Amino acid sequence: MNVLSVENLRKSFGDLEVIQDISFSLEHGEVLAIIGPSGSGKSTLLRCINLLEEVDGGKISICGEEMVSEVDGKVQYAPKEQLRAIRLKTGLVFQNYHLFPHFSVLRNITEAPVHVSNVPPAQAEKTAHELLDKMGLAEKADAYPCQLSGGQAQRVSIARAMAMHPEILFFDEPTSALDPELTGEILKVIKELAAEKMTMVIVTHEMAFAREVADRVIFMEHGVIVDQGPPEALFHSENPRTRAFLGNYYRI
Amino acid sequence: MNINSLLKLVPHMVDASLTTLNIFFLTLIFAVPLGFVICFGRMSKYKPVRKIVEFYLLIMRGTPLILQLIFFFYGVFPFFGLSLPRFWAAIFAFVLNYAAYFCEIFRSGLESMPRGQREAAAVLGFTKTQTFFRILLPQVIKRILPPMGSECMTLVKDTALAQVIGVAELFQLANSSVSREASIIPIFVAGVFYLLMNGIVSRCFSALEKRLNYYQ
Amino acid sequence: MMRTNKRRIALLLGMMLLGLTLAGCASTGEDVGLSKVMDKGVLVMGLDDAFPPMGFRDEDQNIVGFDVDVATEVASRMGVELQLQPIDWSSKEQELSAGNVDCLWNGFTKTPQREEQMCLSTAYMKNTQVVVLPADSTVQSIDDLAGKTVVVQSGSSAELAIDELEGFEESLKELVAVSDNVTAMMDLGTGSSDAVVMDEVVARYYMSKNEGQYRLLEESLADEEYVIGFAKQNQSLKDAVEEQLYAMAEDGTLAEISEKWFGEDLTTLGK
Repeated sequence: MNVLSVENLRKSFGDLEVIQDISFSLEHGEVLAIIGPSGSGKSTLLRCINLLEEVDGGKISICGEEMVSEVDGKVQYAPKEQLRAIRLKTGLVFQNYHLFPHFSVLRNITEAPVHVSNVPPAQAEKTAHELLDKMGLAEKADAYPCQLSGGQAQRVSIARAMAMHPEILFFDEPTSALDPELTGEILKVIKELAAEKMTMVIVTHEMAFAREVADRVIFMEHGVIVDQGPPEALFHSENPRTRAFLGNYYRI
Repeated sequence: MNINSLLKLVPHMVDASLTTLNIFFLTLIFAVPLGFVICFGRMSKYKPVRKIVEFYLLIMRGTPLILQLIFFFYGVFPFFGLSLPRFWAAIFAFVLNYAAYFCEIFRSGLESMPRGQREAAAVLGFTKTQTFFRILLPQVIKRILPPMGSECMTLVKDTALAQVIGVAELFQLANSSVSREASIIPIFVAGVFYLLMNGIVSRCFSALEKRLNYYQ
Repeated sequence: MMRTNKRRIALLLGMMLLGLTLAGCASTGEDVGLSKVMDKGVLVMGLDDAFPPMGFRDEDQNIVGFDVDVATEVASRMGVELQLQPIDWSSKEQELSAGNVDCLWNGFTKTPQREEQMCLSTAYMKNTQVVVLPADSTVQSIDDLAGKTVVVQSGSSAELAIDELEGFEESLKELVAVSDNVTAMMDLGTGSSDAVVMDEVVARYYMSKNEGQYRLLEESLADEEYVIGFAKQNQSLKDAVEEQLYAMAEDGTLAEISEKWFGEDLTTLGK
């Protein structure tokens, strides 16, 4: 089943064309990693799909529902109510977690299910505890975000996204704000989600990360897809730009 | 001024303090919500709305409150044939004036919120209203408590200005007692009352800040 | 007498704003003063409740004073109730023109300017601007004040009287203007100054509060009269009040009230 389809997506900030004509699609249970240098447009791509930026052209569909399309060269978003429904099928994990500091860990996870999806509080709490268990954070339910380490905070933010039962989960550089030794915690969680057939798109700087969890890797540069394929194929790509980028990475 | 006169004065000062407290609480009750409404106008995406609010803020913050009291009571209300009692005319002017200051405090609080909080809420599907009341407002309240505390203490002292339109509050009583007794002691007694009231205001805000200290 | 003008600047600014809004609707009203008072059965008297002994609050916060007693009697003879409305004295003209009060009656000095703006009653009492000295002062005449420091209430008619007295201010070491008469008396009490110029009735009140500390110079600076102020168009109300005052002068009530407050009859009506 097709979960995400992006066609000819374009986005500019003023004169700067951040995304130029990008197309790709994702099947259920697939894990896609998007790599590329800073400023290549990877994060903007995620933000467009998650309705945090408006696109300038192209088409995005989620689970077969058209979110945005182009009619006679004009961008047309779905009606507000439909957009809201589509939005609930996606989840986004931010680089800096963006947990709600005034809520306990548990309430960070239950707030949206209870008030957005009208899940009974008791049930939402049960789900939240299960998710925290899975993240290895069972004892942190009553803690506040300021009491968590970066790795713990990021795992809570993943649990918060998962509590809405999204069809597809996006990660925007989920380990960039973490100390290198903490990235393992996140990697482990993502791997577990992959094993459960969670459809995921991960924008990352961590090549090892992409290599370990992704079914497919897209290499982006200057707003276009330069190269793509299964991780092993991409890491041995003949494409000179891919090689140059990965070469930089290996030298570091 | 002898001790008997002083003892007689104190209960009257307590009475007059009630008027002062009435002005204080009524101003807060109306000016805080109004301040929020004005704040949204100030941050509106429609330029005319923003311009009108900016003009209002300039007038309210750029002229003395004492002048506004006089202007409303002797100018605006009679002009429209309204006869608002002195006390309510004073409340009217205080509310309009303080809402302007509150508006700017709220705005500084809202604008200091990281964009990520709004985005995280949006991605989870919260509506704009839910995002405001559940996510932003509680955090904004914590951030604006210190300036709000200062503003409230200023308000306690500013209530003395109501006497300019004949409202019999604490400082007015002190003044008339000074004239009767030919002694400035009543002014100092009033000072003790203001200090007491502001001591309580200050304690309340400290307690509130403490209560919200459970997160950063 | 012009009273406390601490807030003069704010008031001036306010009045400038008001000027536009009120232009044209100020003095065009009909003479409805009397019928309004009689219909409502209430005469609203605007006063400064911090001006002893004419009108002030006693220790129980009741407004009392010479003018209050006279006005109470006038109102009862007119068959209406007297309502005392304390106002900020610097806003008295606005209170009157906005109709918040029916009259200004509180040691209100007759001046040419006020005669033009308002409808003033016949003077009911004489007042002089006197010089208050410490009891042990060596000053015996106005000329002796040369080289001394004199205090007045800023914006008061004492200040006006000094202005009118040719060469007097120049002869002084310094003329200090303070915000109110109590402050002026304090200034004198602490020895910071040598004399205070103020209304005689007020001076006598404060001297009685500090028995033996002060004395008055026999020579006075200026003679003035106290009147009652009404809105320009309210001639009929003024006439009605005046009529009762004359009657009270006739039957001795006025003299009686004066003796109660001043120990002598200072009233001038019908004399």
